[in-house]
Order: sequence, then C-alpha cells, then structure tokens
Amino acid sequence: MAIVERPTAPLELTTGEPETIRPLGVMTRPQGTTGWKSWLTTVDHKRIGIMYGAAALFFFVLGGFEALLIRLQLAAPGQKLYSADLYNQLFTMHGVTMIFLVVIPLGAAFMNYLMPLQVGARDVAFPRLNAFSYWCFLAGGLLLNTSWFLGGGADGGWFAYAPNTGVTFSPSHGMDFYAIGLQLTGIASLVGAINLVVTVLNMRAPGMTLMKMPVFTWMGFVTQLLLVFALPVISVALFLLTFDRLFNANFFNVSEGADPLLWEHLFWIFGHPEVYILILPAFGVVSEIIPVFSRKPIFGYPFMIFSGIAIGFMGWGVWAHHMFASGMGPLSVAAFAVSTMFIAVPTGVKILNWLATMWGGKLRFTTPMLFAIGLVTMFTIGGLSGVTHAVAPSDTQQTDTYYIVAHFHYVIFGGALMGFLGGLYFWWPKVFGFLLNEKLGKWHFWTILIGFNLTFGPMHILGLQGMPRRMHTYVEGYGFDFWNMVSTIGAFIIAVSMTIFAANVLLSWRAHRRNPVNAGPDPWDARSLEWMVPSPVPSHNFDEVPTVSHLDEFWHRKYAENAEGKVVRVATGAEVAQKGDAENVHLPSPSYWPLVVAAGLPIIGYGLIFNLALAAVGGVIVVLGAFAWGYEPADDPEAHHGHGGHDDGHGDGHGDDDGDGEGELATVGSGPAGTTGEEASDD
Amino acid sequence: MTRRRRLALVLAPLLLFVGACASDAPQSTLDPKGPIARSIDALWDGVFIVAVVVFILVEFGTLYLVIRFRRRADDTDDDLPAQTHGNTRLEILWTLIPAVLLGLVGFFTLVTLFDINRKDDDALAVQVTGQQWWWEFTYDTDGDGEFTDEDVLTANDLVIPAGQDVNLEIGSNDVIHSFWIPALNGKKDAVPGSEHPLRLNADEPGTYVGQCTEYCGLSHGYMRQRVIAMTPDDFDAWLEDQIPEAEMPTDGEAAAGAELFATQCSGCHLARGINDEEFADQGDGTELLVSGNAPDLTHFASRGVFAGGIFNLWVDKDGDDIIEKDEISEEFNRGAVEAWLRNPPAEKPMDAPALPEPGGEKIRGMPDLNLPEEQIDQLVDFLETLE
Repeated sequence: MAIVERPTAPLELTTGEPETIRPLGVMTRPQGTTGWKSWLTTVDHKRIGIMYGAAALFFFVLGGFEALLIRLQLAAPGQKLYSADLYNQLFTMHGVTMIFLVVIPLGAAFMNYLMPLQVGARDVAFPRLNAFSYWCFLAGGLLLNTSWFLGGGADGGWFAYAPNTGVTFSPSHGMDFYAIGLQLTGIASLVGAINLVVTVLNMRAPGMTLMKMPVFTWMGFVTQLLLVFALPVISVALFLLTFDRLFNANFFNVSEGADPLLWEHLFWIFGHPEVYILILPAFGVVSEIIPVFSRKPIFGYPFMIFSGIAIGFMGWGVWAHHMFASGMGPLSVAAFAVSTMFIAVPTGVKILNWLATMWGGKLRFTTPMLFAIGLVTMFTIGGLSGVTHAVAPSDTQQTDTYYIVAHFHYVIFGGALMGFLGGLYFWWPKVFGFLLNEKLGKWHFWTILIGFNLTFGPMHILGLQGMPRRMHTYVEGYGFDFWNMVSTIGAFIIAVSMTIFAANVLLSWRAHRRNPVNAGPDPWDARSLEWMVPSPVPSHNFDEVPTVSHLDEFWHRKYAENAEGKVVRVATGAEVAQKGDAENVHLPSPSYWPLVVAAGLPIIGYGLIFNLALAAVGGVIVVLGAFAWGYEPADDPEAHHGHGGHDDGHGDGHGDDDGDGEGELATVGSGPAGTTGEEASDD
Repeated sequence: MTRRRRLALVLAPLLLFVGACASDAPQSTLDPKGPIARSIDALWDGVFIVAVVVFILVEFGTLYLVIRFRRRADDTDDDLPAQTHGNTRLEILWTLIPAVLLGLVGFFTLVTLFDINRKDDDALAVQVTGQQWWWEFTYDTDGDGEFTDEDVLTANDLVIPAGQDVNLEIGSNDVIHSFWIPALNGKKDAVPGSEHPLRLNADEPGTYVGQCTEYCGLSHGYMRQRVIAMTPDDFDAWLEDQIPEAEMPTDGEAAAGAELFATQCSGCHLARGINDEEFADQGDGTELLVSGNAPDLTHFASRGVFAGGIFNLWVDKDGDDIIEKDEISEEFNRGAVEAWLRNPPAEKPMDAPALPEPGGEKIRGMPDLNLPEEQIDQLVDFLETLE
C-alpha cells in the first residue's frame, strides 16, 4: 500500500499549476545510463561501489611504489639512494595512501555494492549523497597526491604529531595537502556512513530483522557507526592543524602554552576506532566466504554479531595505548593497558568461530577461500603481537620500532587486504558476470602469502633488536642488515603477486570477451540475497523485493529438510534466482550536482593554500551546487521508467509497481514521497 | 611436510629471537643490562610463551582443519555436512578462558608497571633535553636543585654511575623526541612544554646505545644517544672534571683555533673559559637557532661521539665500532671532525642552508660556514684540547 498517491504528471503545486523545475535553468538533468559520462552522473550504488574499488586499486599501486622505494633504501645499511627528506615524504605518503586511499575505499566499495543488495533494497537511502561521497573522496585523494608536484609530499608521518607538523618544522606545503586532503576524504566517509546507517535501519526487505542480516552487513553497519563518531574528531584535529599552519593560530604552539599531547589524543581517539573501521568489513567478507566454501552456516551467528558490536564499543576505550611512552603517567597507562587487553577477547572469539565453521565442513579451496583462510591465520599473528603491545612495560620497548610496523602490517595487510582480495575473487562474477581465473588466482594467493610473510615477518625481529621506525637509514653492527634485505626481497615478491592479479583481471576479461559465457546468478552456491539476482546485477537490483524469513534466506530457498530431517537441495540457484527482467521499475535519477559540489571542495582547498580568491571561487561553486542539488527533485519527474535506460514509455505511476505491497524507492527529501521498508509489512 | 619439519619452521624464528642476545645487537630489547630492563624482559618472556602457545594452537589447528575436512573427490554438492549453527556453551567457554588468561597477563603487567615507575628521590637526577637533532644532558653540579645554565651541560653521551638508579627528567626544546636505551629501560617521549621522568639503572660499567624513537624530522635517523655507565668513583671523578672551565690553549695552532672559535662559533656554541663574553654578546645561543640551543663544547673532547651521536670522536680500537670509556682520549678521529666542519649539512640532513642574517629566519642545525682548510685545521686542533 502506498502511503501517498504519487502524481503521474510533473509536480503539481498548490496553485494547481504544473511546473517543471529546472535547476538554475542551466542544465537539463542527465538521463543516460550508458557511456562514460553516465558514470559521472550515476547515483547507482553498484557503480559507485565499482568506482571506489577501481580508485582504491589505483592508489594501491601508488602506495606500493612508495613502499618499494622505501624498501630499496633500507635493503642495506648506510645507503643514500635519495635524500632523507624524500624518505620522510615517502613513508608518510605510503601510510596515508594505504590507510585512507586504499583500505577505507576498498571497504567502501564492498559495503556500497553489497549492503543494499544484502538487505533487499534497490539502492541506499540517499543516492545523490552517495555519489557525492565518492567524488569527494576522489577529490581528496587526488589533491593529497598533487602535493608531490607542488612542493613535496606530506612529511610529518601518517599520524602527524604536533609540533613537528607546524610551519616551522614542516615548511613545505606537504602537510597542508595532508590536512585538506584528509578533511575531504573524511567528509566523504562521514556522509557515506550516515547514508548506510539509514539504509540498514530503514530499508531492509520485509521480514529481514536485524538478526537476519548477513554478517557482512552487520560488520559494515558497525563500521559505519564507528565512522560517524570517529571522523568528526579527526576533522577537528585537522581544522586545528590547518588554522595553525595557514592562519597563524596557536593550537599547537608550545611557546604560547599549547600541549602537543592535545594532537595525540585527538588523533588517536579517531585513530583507534579507525583501525576497527579498517578491519571489520574484511571480517564481514570472510564471514560470508567461509560458510559458502565450508557448505555450512557461520558458527555462532549471535556471537559473531555481538563480538562485532563489542569491538565497536570497546574500540573507544583503548586509544591511549598508542601513547604509552608519551609521558601520560602510570595510572593512565595502567587503565589503557587493561582495556586494550580485553578488546582481544571479542576478536579472538571471531577467529575461533571461523575455525569452528570450517570444522566438520566440506572445504572447497577456491581462491576466495584461500584468502579467507589467509586472513584468519595472518590476522592471528598480528593480533598476538597486538596483545604483547598491551603489556605496557613491554610496549615501552616495542613502540616506535619495527615490531609495531610488523604488527600493523599483519593486521591490515594480512587481515584487511587479504580479506578484500578474497572478496574481490568471490564477488567478481556477481559484479561483472564472469569469474576470475582460478589457477592465476591461486598463484596470486601463494605468492602474496609468501611475499607478505617475508616482508613483515622479519620486522618482528628487527624491532625487538632495537631498530626504530622512520629511520631513513641504519648502520652496520646493530644486527639489522640481514633481515632488512630479506624484507626488501619480500616486498618485490608482493609486487610480482599483484602483477599476477592484474594479469588475471585482464586475461579473464579477454577470455570472457572471446567466449561470453555468463557466470550465472550463483556460481558458488552461496547463501545471501545478492546471489539471488542475475550477474551482473541489473540496475534495479530485484525484480521483486523478496520477503525474508531466514538468515541466509537464499540458501534456505535452495535447501530444506526432507521428511527424514536431512537437509537436501530442493532447487538450484538458477531456479530460485530472479530473472532480472522487470520493467517499469522506478530508480533514483542520475544527477550532476554531487560531482559539481565535490569538484568545488578541492578548489577551496587549493585556494586556502595558495590564494584565498580561489577559495572563494570554490566556495561559490559548492554553495551554488548545493542549492541546485537541493532544488532538484530526488526523482526526475520526466524520467523514463524501466531499467537499462530504454525508452519504454512513461510508467503508470511510481507506486506499487510490482505488487509486493510497497513503494519502490525510499528517497528522503523533496519530490514524490517515498515509502520505507518499515511500512511494507503486511498488506 | 613432516611434523618435525613444521616444528623446526616454527622454532627457527624463536631461536633467532634468542640469538638476538649477541654482541652485534647492541640495541636489542631482549638483552637487559639492568634491573628495570630485566623486569620488563621477564614479563615479555612470560607473555611471549603464551602468544607462542596460542599461535601453535590456531595455526596448526587451521592446518589440521584444512586437511581433515577438505572436500573429497567423490563428494557431490548435494552431500551437505551437518549444518551446525553453533554451540553456546563452547562459545561462552572460549570467550571466558581468553578473558581470564588476559586478566592474568593484565595483573602481572600492572605489577611490573608500577614497579618500574617507582622513584627513588635520593638518586642522581639528570635533565635530558632533546632538540633537532641531538641530546643535551644537564647535571645539577651547583647543587641548587634546579637545572640551569650554571650547571654542567654535556651532549650525546649520558654519563651515569653504574649499579644505582639515575632519575632522568626528559624534555624538549622543539618537537617531540623520545629517549631510549633498550638495554636499561623502555623509552620515554621528550615533549616540549613538559618534563617526563625515566629511571635508568645499569648493572655494570659499560656503554649502552640508543636512538631517538619519535619521528622528529629530517635527521630523526641520525639522532643517537649513548649511556656510559662508570663505577661510582669514576663517575665522581668525571663529574669533577666537567665542572672547571676550559683552558685557553697556548700552542700556536690550537690558540689560533680558539680565537677562530670565539669569532666564528659564538652565535651558537659556548666553551666556558674561551668565549663566554662573545657568547653572551650574541644572545647566549638563542638568536640563530629555532631550538635556541647548540651543544656546549666546554669538554667536547671528553665525549665519545659528536654531531648528535652519529660520528665517533675517537678511533675504535676493539672492533665493535662503539667508543667506550677507555677509547676516549686515545686516538682522536680527526678526519671525522674535519669533514663535519667542512660542510655539516652534507654530513647530516639539516634545515640550515646558511648562517642567518641578524633578525633573519632561524635555522635548525649547523650550517656550512665556508671555512678555509687552514681554519678547519686550527679549529680541530683547538677542539682536541677541550678535554
């Protein structure tokens, strides 16, 4: 039942006169769904997800080059391949790139693509805002990297401790690009987080209670809540830094009475939840993969969900474990040591639940499964070294050494990245319609596993032997030489493995072009709703929004208990899956304005650094763009209906197109009223 | 792979850890040379064993699962395994057991933490000040309970008496640094605007090395510190010798060097007894440098290293490349000092392109003074007299 009768004609105002709204009378609304320009104006969560993934992989190559340059310099003692100044920029940019421009957007790629599908929705709550998130993120990432050409990359380290990041000690513009670039990516993630939180809370399919959502969506949901609360903190810190650097403020000026530890606290109050933001989506990915390739459900779904929530909450109480040597005083150190120790409990529960999922299963070692097992085994190592850091007296020996570098690479690379690589292989056929080559996939996995362990395993030893971080060189006679060389060799093996991945993508795509056999909706015999639609997913997602009665709803439509109580197949995936041929499905309309507003922001950024007049121009673009966006109806009253952009005639209303008892699209804001998942229960 | 091979693969890195207690790992955290570091190391040993046990359980557990439950060739997709959804009792157990285990680890952590943070207020106190890119040490030699310019100032080598606590008060003149001597204790950050305590205690006389461990800019990798622990008698004698002013040299070359020092170097450096007036006239070393402070050179030649601890002031005699107490005052490492004076920024990355004009932008580090070779020779001759 539609709550509000939707008009069939352009908006009728109370004067009774129909009026066509043209944004500023300047641009007609884009309507195309094909061609490269349609990607610039898309508001489709799937396309946005793909763009996040592509950008992340591009930045991964960039960050990888920075890493290789670092490893080349450190391969032997006393080398002078390039200046200490360049080294400092390289390690700073490597860290910032990998965290903010690779792992976060990879998570965003998966969450954007999958969360609406997994909850049975057609898109997110605010589609244009979603597009804005992406373009704003891209603007921030590109702005940050133009620093290389405009006076030097950021050189304060990725956590940018004051006062070293002030103008006196970091005179180049690198740290300005850092502050503004991360401000932009922060806006992107914050806005996206609000979007996904609302989507999960309001747009689930009928019957999908919170405890029937897939683990991936739950982990994504906790991640988005963490983002909502953590990003404002770093935004504030970055504003303080920007005002110090550009406008002579004194937030971190010690001679005016500032305490540098203010930056440390602000940064790490953000920075610690940040690492859970990095890992939880990957935890979600492997929680989807392992059950599929064990052929049994996730072991202990409630514990998996509650441990994720626990990590989300407890993650706020541990930040100063990054500051054990900062002079906080033993009482503070003690408190954070204890809280840090206990956060290992919910994380450990997950490891054991994944292993218990595999127990008693019939394990299929496809490439996604190999990567998932990789996460479980490698994250365990990182988690164990993490527990040793919680032992605060020990940490005063470990902190700022390569032992810490080893820890976080094991959890971020061995954990998050391995998980995401598995996810790429797993969901590739769903997104693109063809599978990646299994043989090359296995080569990719084994070479990266070996290369990764050779690169970062020895760093545990280097750290314990006293090699500090962020050293542009080291000397003979300290026992650092051999393991540094091993580590460098490992780094190049990682480079080889990612080349294999690139080759896999290219060759698999070419093979598919030559012989276009579709992977089908369900190539893996999987469990959740995204596998119940064709591959690639049609723009309208579901022909018919499904009614959900189980966790792993799709699986339960394929398998049921027979008369003897044995679980047997009752249908194939292809039989259960929807055909994707629904017509007259109303979709959110494309728009230019997210791109325009997002393009104005970096102009403000460059203006703040170089010329305030330019900042004013950027400001005008942002404000005007925002107004235009606001006046533009959420749905184009002149939009053609149906998927694929075909002109199949004007629809007969935006109401209950498919007869399942609810309106199509929950868009909040102006325009025809939308209905939400809440109302769509029993009609 | 046989079980034994797998075990060896696991133990090999363990053995390497143990093997790190070699003399060619002078900055090792696993080779404590004093009671505080030993206390930390003991805690580490216990926790590390727990970590290894968990590692073996999880990793070998995974290996076992992967082998035992792999899909067999004759399995069809319709042969489903038991669709176990969970086991609440088991899950509660494996939530509680790690929690209890971690609680135990936490208990011992707190015991050690409060133990190493206690302070003996009667112990010798030394002020440690970090600045880009060297460490200064101040001893309260005038006994007034304060650390001022009236006290003894040295650099790079922190000399302490062995076998007893020494209380460091650590601060900074510019950005955050971190003071660390792994063989003796964990590290403590040097934060501008505050003073942080750190206790050191070396069992035996010897030389213990460390590095700045908080990223502090260009030459963070070239900012080193050392502790030279001496017998209490030797320490007292050393401190006595640090108090007097330097003697104005009478020999021609060194005397010429002393004059050069007074005219060229007084903007930043002080050698008491040589250039007190010039130093005071030029602002007590605060005018040219951002940190407002350059190393006091009064007893320069009593130290083992210079330039922020990266160059040996004396020639190493026993092959370990560490200048110990008995190597100081043996064979002067003239070449290194000359190279430094010739062009300091070429030897160590610094932000000191030139000597600033009066009222100009301050620099960070020592600039190239474009000294002719003859002047460099004289200066080196002079510096060698500053025992």
